[in-house]
Amino acid sequence: MAIFFREHLGFVCFQLLQHVTLSSLLLLAGFDNTGVLLYINLLLLVFFTAFIVYRYFSRKQLYHQLSVPLKQLEEVLEPTGFTPLALSINQLLVSQYRIYQAEIADLETQQMEHLLFIDRWVHQMKTPLSVLTLAAEELDEPESSSIREEVDRMRQGLSTVLYSARLRTIEEDFQIESVNLIAMVHAVNKEHRRYYIRHRIYPKLTADKQAFKVTTDKKWLFFILSQLILNAVKYSANHHDTIEINIEEQHHEVHLRVRDYGVGIPVSDQKRVFDKFFTGENGRIFKESTGMGLYLVKEVAERLEHGVRLTSEVGKGTMVTLIFSETQNLTQV
Amino acid sequence: MKKIMIVEDDEKIANYLRTCIEKYNYQVIVQKNFDDVLTTFNSAMPDLVILDINLPQYDGFYWCRQIRKTSICPVLFLSARTGEMDQVMALENGGDDYITKPFHPDVVIAKIRSHLRRAYGEYALSGKEREVSISGLVLFPERFEVRFGGETIHVTQKESAIIEALIERYPRVKSRQDLLEKLWDDETYVDENTLNVNVTRVRKKLQHLGLNDVIETIRGSGYRLVVNWKDD
Repeated sequence: MAIFFREHLGFVCFQLLQHVTLSSLLLLAGFDNTGVLLYINLLLLVFFTAFIVYRYFSRKQLYHQLSVPLKQLEEVLEPTGFTPLALSINQLLVSQYRIYQAEIADLETQQMEHLLFIDRWVHQMKTPLSVLTLAAEELDEPESSSIREEVDRMRQGLSTVLYSARLRTIEEDFQIESVNLIAMVHAVNKEHRRYYIRHRIYPKLTADKQAFKVTTDKKWLFFILSQLILNAVKYSANHHDTIEINIEEQHHEVHLRVRDYGVGIPVSDQKRVFDKFFTGENGRIFKESTGMGLYLVKEVAERLEHGVRLTSEVGKGTMVTLIFSETQNLTQV
Repeated sequence: MKKIMIVEDDEKIANYLRTCIEKYNYQVIVQKNFDDVLTTFNSAMPDLVILDINLPQYDGFYWCRQIRKTSICPVLFLSARTGEMDQVMALENGGDDYITKPFHPDVVIAKIRSHLRRAYGEYALSGKEREVSISGLVLFPERFEVRFGGETIHVTQKESAIIEALIERYPRVKSRQDLLEKLWDDETYVDENTLNVNVTRVRKKLQHLGLNDVIETIRGSGYRLVVNWKDD
């Protein structure tokens, strides 16, 4: 509405000017029939008003489109009428849309190719790492363990890169199924046993039921638990010799807690630990951190619709809770 | 003696596999020419094939299909890919099992034995029971028994794992970490004490056999076997 008025203000002023000019000229020319003069002005105004009204209704859609902010790219494709202006504007918008779409498609292709490359490369790298491990096994201590430790770190790094790359297409990757949580925790602990052993920190698992079943994606849950455990151990070094994993049913939900008694996270950092690339205080002390771990955990948990909560106290430790909702909880009572 | 054929283009991995497998009294053939795997296969007639998927020229799936035209011998695929679809593809292409890299030699051996058993029957396993020995001290890992100087004693699974690791590693040091890894229990895990306790037990048991001070503690590293006895 507002745009319409602003656009046509000029018209209205011009029309009024014409009325004034016409009337003035006629009066000056000696025309003194004021009744007829008024009638002429009125008639012309009526024609003008009808014209304005017609203009308004035939362009209403277009003006609406021009005044409402866009939320989605596709909204631009809606037809807004048959007036020449509307048709031309539509054409312009459609061609702009096509150009953008082409660019987006191009970028998407580039990204897919990049992810494909990363996937291939990570698998390629596993072979030299295997060879290094085998060669290191033939050495004496302490070189043997030292080299194998570094190779394991690289392997873990590659794994994180792979999962990070797959995050983009995670929805296509999903396989939701019923998973035995306790068995999964055992499997994750087994996978990272060398890490536990190297840091001399060992896990304790407690659960208030014999079996916990939840609906989730096995592969991604394994990844989340791995990240939480690696963090817990890393920040426990020199503080405590165990981390605790606890599974409990609460209000029909299943809560899986990973608790460490390590350095803890300062309150000022706690809100930001889930941010991409955030390393904070601990990042400065522990140096080796990409800042991606907890970010990935949060992103994946969100897609899987599991809750994540973190509590921590400096010097006392940190606890991260993974929450499986009532609908995801398949545990028999 | 059963024949195992290894088709893996990475020489180091192929040789490592050969070493591991030969230890178990199998004859090993390592493929060198990847343009023509089939000729070697047909002339050697192995009882089992370990086949890498990523090969130059043709991939492992292709060779498996070729092999399958004339043979039903067990084929174990080897690959760095861990995805489920990769495993499905391998098995659909005629494979019998799938080993991922990095692999644990124990797992590879166990799979080989399992498939030989399945394909050729129990008698097919090397008639001899496996033994790990050094200078007259013999460990039978399948029986959890240790023999020395005419006497035989029984050991637990954890004790057996430690003795086997020390003998195989001789004369080098076996790190604490490696030993703890061997003692890892999938459900009760381990802790620092687990190793100390078990090493003490092993020392006591070896003493029963008349072997004293044969396990040396290397501070900060691990343990090492010391052969201070004479082989009878």
